Amino acid sequence: MSLADSRKIRLLFLQNAPLILFLVLVLVFGSLSERFLSPTNFMNIVTQAAHIAIIAIGMTFVLLVAGIDLSVGANMYASCIVVALYMKGWNPVFGFAVAGFLGLLFGAVNAFVITRLRVPAFIATLATLFVGRAIALYLSGVKMIPFGKEILLLGRTTWLGLPVPIWIFLLVFVIAWVTLRLTTYGRQVYAVGADPEAAAKAGIDVRRILFSVYCIAGVCAAIGGLVSASQVAAASSTFGFQKEFPVIAAAVLGGTSLFGGRGGVVGTVFGAILIQTVENGLVMINADPYVYPLVVSAIIFIAVLVDSLRTGMLERLERRKIRVETA
Amino acid sequence: MTPAQTTRLDRPAPAPGLPLWRRLLLSEYLVLFLTVVYVAGMALIVPEILTADTWRDILAAMIPLLIVAIGQMFVLVVAGIDLSATSVLAFSSVLGAAVITMDGGPLVGLPAFLVVAIGILAFMAVGGAVGAFNGACTTRFNMPPFIVTLTTMMFFSGAAIWVTTLLTDDGSSIGSLPREFVFIGQGRVFELPFSLLIALAVGLLAHVALSHSLFGRWLFAIGINPNAAAVSGVPVRRTMFWAYVISGACAGLAAVIYTARLETGTPVLGQRILLDVVGAAVIGGVSLFGGKAKVLWVVFGALFLTVVDKGLQLLGLSLAGVFAIKGGVILLAAIVDAQRQRLKGRG
Repeated sequence: MSLADSRKIRLLFLQNAPLILFLVLVLVFGSLSERFLSPTNFMNIVTQAAHIAIIAIGMTFVLLVAGIDLSVGANMYASCIVVALYMKGWNPVFGFAVAGFLGLLFGAVNAFVITRLRVPAFIATLATLFVGRAIALYLSGVKMIPFGKEILLLGRTTWLGLPVPIWIFLLVFVIAWVTLRLTTYGRQVYAVGADPEAAAKAGIDVRRILFSVYCIAGVCAAIGGLVSASQVAAASSTFGFQKEFPVIAAAVLGGTSLFGGRGGVVGTVFGAILIQTVENGLVMINADPYVYPLVVSAIIFIAVLVDSLRTGMLERLERRKIRVETA
Repeated sequence: MTPAQTTRLDRPAPAPGLPLWRRLLLSEYLVLFLTVVYVAGMALIVPEILTADTWRDILAAMIPLLIVAIGQMFVLVVAGIDLSATSVLAFSSVLGAAVITMDGGPLVGLPAFLVVAIGILAFMAVGGAVGAFNGACTTRFNMPPFIVTLTTMMFFSGAAIWVTTLLTDDGSSIGSLPREFVFIGQGRVFELPFSLLIALAVGLLAHVALSHSLFGRWLFAIGINPNAAAVSGVPVRRTMFWAYVISGACAGLAAVIYTARLETGTPVLGQRILLDVVGAAVIGGVSLFGGKAKVLWVVFGALFLTVVDKGLQLLGLSLAGVFAIKGGVILLAAIVDAQRQRLKGRG
């Protein structure tokens, strides 16, 4: 069956396309800039990718149930501005607790509008994006608000040779991975994403699962926001602006399907690092800064294209098992 | 309107027994009614909202928005979405202006009417090309329209700025547009703004295409049930493809008006009106789930949003306030749309 074989090879290629893309990019940037391939630079890339990875891990939960959350950037701004304004001098652990709680609230509002009022997820979160930014702009008075010293210290501290942002990212990653892979809840998320009706018939409370994933995305957005805060020192009025693009892109690049039910946090982390590698590489080779958004959006586009091709191909492959095609 | 369409496309006439709020919720004039209420309420705080000058501003702001929103409607009716419309405004403004600029442009020396004609075609072609790309991706590769147009939005707003830096020394805008072109945005015919005539023509054409043509029937059929449409012999992919092209071309035409008004091609054109474009259509009653649209509804929606904007501006609200109220209005419209669907499902 050479036809089926060639299809399987193509599928194998499509499934590993992001990895191939990553290797090509590393080779290209590495040949153009010597500094790019140094271990220090790789550590830099991971540190800079940490906040995107954390937010994208939350986004993965939402994408797994075929939802979307455009408000993560507004959420990180709104949650972090409170910490910047009112929690100077507090232990950063409290900062994370408060920001996480606010992020949870923000996510719960999204979840309520989507699951109870039945507004399509992207319109609901597009609207809360505006409202969230408005709240943050109102609180900050459209001024740049510096974060407290303790938050900044967090960004510079290293523990066991790794910067704290990476530790926070690893913690979020492990929790998310265990939740999705080893718990009943995780199985239910995948089940709802694959087929909500079948999931409901199997006795899963679909609405509760949908509600919970937006809350998780909210918490992750706030935590990722504070990690980002520890690196940028101050929240300007564009803090978190359009963060939803790289975040969704990271998840999709990592193989999480926009159609729900397929993907995972391991891929998402890989996607976040891939995007940061591109940005870092463009800086290293002194590319025209105006070209950055073009390159990044082109790479996201390729990722989505691959996802769609893969989805179509999987559907066709699965169909062959059921029905013998008559040539 | 033929009787057949009345039964299929319109909401059923609310039964007299229903409570008033429910009849109002289902009425197609709900948004117009809300606009009147808003203006009446605002008039108590800022009486300026009733002056002729204010309404001239409102009309001027509404015209290009309406044209983009009408294009958007064609995509929404097949249950798609076109988020790239604002980037098309910027990108075609820059490229179009580069074509017709009298400051060393390629058309210097040609007769004015030819320059204007080629210019308009260039604007719309740029928009149509982006739309064709969106359409090809969604119909050929089954990519979700939302993500496709999100990436094209990112790409072309970036491209608009990048191209401007290549074409100009200071990287800000492209000026020296011919006077005849500027007339499109600023001129008046019989005391009416020339751009209003364009908007009327677009509205009329769109109405015929949507409600009185085979193409329109196909759009609705796809929006209501794509599988059933395909089985019934509707060329689903081709029809959807053209919906995206129309959306892009409309955005290109709106860019003509914006650019002519500003007398420069600029890459920051329309950056903030994305929510307004989708919002105008949805608030008017065009469903995000597809299969429900009417040009008149979009007119009401665009009017409502523009009036709300102007009212907030007269109140002197901060950026945060405008953001909050606009986000709230969009949310409200989406919730109303969802509730309408539910009521209809029950009724």
